[in-house]
Amino acid sequence: MRALLLNFLLALTWAAVTGIFSARNLTIGFILGFLILLFADRTTDHASYIGRIIKLGSFIGFFVWELMVANIRMAHSVITPSTTMRPGVIAIPLSAKTDAEITLLANLISLTPGTLSIDVSTDRKTLYIHAMFIDDVDTMRYEIKTGFERRLLEVLR
Amino acid sequence: MTEIITSFLLIGGAGFMLLAAIGLLRMPDLFSRMQAATKTSTLGAGSMFLGVAVFYGDLGIVSRSLLVIAFLFLTLPVSAHMIARAAYFVGVPLWEGTVVDELHGAYNPITHELDSKSFKTEEDQKKIVHSLPAESEER
Amino acid sequence: MLGDFELLTLTSNLVLGMLILTMMLSFIRLVRGPSLPDRVVALDLIGSTVAGIIAVYAVANRQPIFVDVAIVMALVIFLGTIAFARFVEKRITR
Repeated sequence: MRALLLNFLLALTWAAVTGIFSARNLTIGFILGFLILLFADRTTDHASYIGRIIKLGSFIGFFVWELMVANIRMAHSVITPSTTMRPGVIAIPLSAKTDAEITLLANLISLTPGTLSIDVSTDRKTLYIHAMFIDDVDTMRYEIKTGFERRLLEVLR
Repeated sequence: MTEIITSFLLIGGAGFMLLAAIGLLRMPDLFSRMQAATKTSTLGAGSMFLGVAVFYGDLGIVSRSLLVIAFLFLTLPVSAHMIARAAYFVGVPLWEGTVVDELHGAYNPITHELDSKSFKTEEDQKKIVHSLPAESEER
Repeated sequence: MLGDFELLTLTSNLVLGMLILTMMLSFIRLVRGPSLPDRVVALDLIGSTVAGIIAVYAVANRQPIFVDVAIVMALVIFLGTIAFARFVEKRITR
């Protein structure tokens, strides 16, 4: 957390030195500050911060990739009549515990085309989702557990 | 250059919106329609506001556009979940080609409570759970 | 060779046309939708389309103040949809 503050401080310093407080310049300052932290200082706190940023970046990359692939599949199934669809409602056991984790996971599942989260059970152990392309129920369950949930929890914890 | 990027983002966003509307018209049941409508429209609107942010490039406008994007990405899935839950609860029919329905009978019609599902394959579930990172101590 | 300004005018007209088509298609679903949740989903999509039209308008007419209007629009869509969902769910228990 301290490293994040330091990074913002470096960005502000960059903007002050160059004298331009535009969004573009602040972003450049943030990236430069991140590079400085990456190369200049390797205490444990910063190492975990950098690792977290890299994990976050790879998670966002993974998410955007999933979004693109699934959107194309969705567009295909919208345009061709519903012959390729195998929809259904499946239950997924949750490993996420806190409200924030469950909310984020449900939102990400909803945003990926092909899956839509419907509800969480009252005791918060199961997430029910509606999926469009189910080849095998257990495979689907396993993919979501090891794909989305594992990566999300790695970033959050 | 910014004009070209902005045009690209705007056209892409509008294309996604159009796709959402076509999906809304063509899909066979409510849940598939929501699949087609909610997230493609989220992506479309997000991409259009990204176009606005790129076009102005001014700190105030960029931060407000990013605020709109963050707001859309947080709220549209939540409202989709609310509608889907309500629709399932009042018994909107699923399409006849539906493969499985594990939610069937899990709702309590009086208290609106939802039971969790017990998994027969406990072994498999343990394997999956062990591959997850451990819960952190500090919150 | 197109100037930058002409390019942007062209795209905003094209995008507005696409968004109007989107609105008309969702309106068909709003009228036809067999159940009440179908109509709520169509209304939700119309709201998102309006937010998109506001974004295009802000770019085409160089009026950045319309981004604020879009914030309010997003809030209103969200609250409206939530209210409708509650209504759909609670109505049956009476």
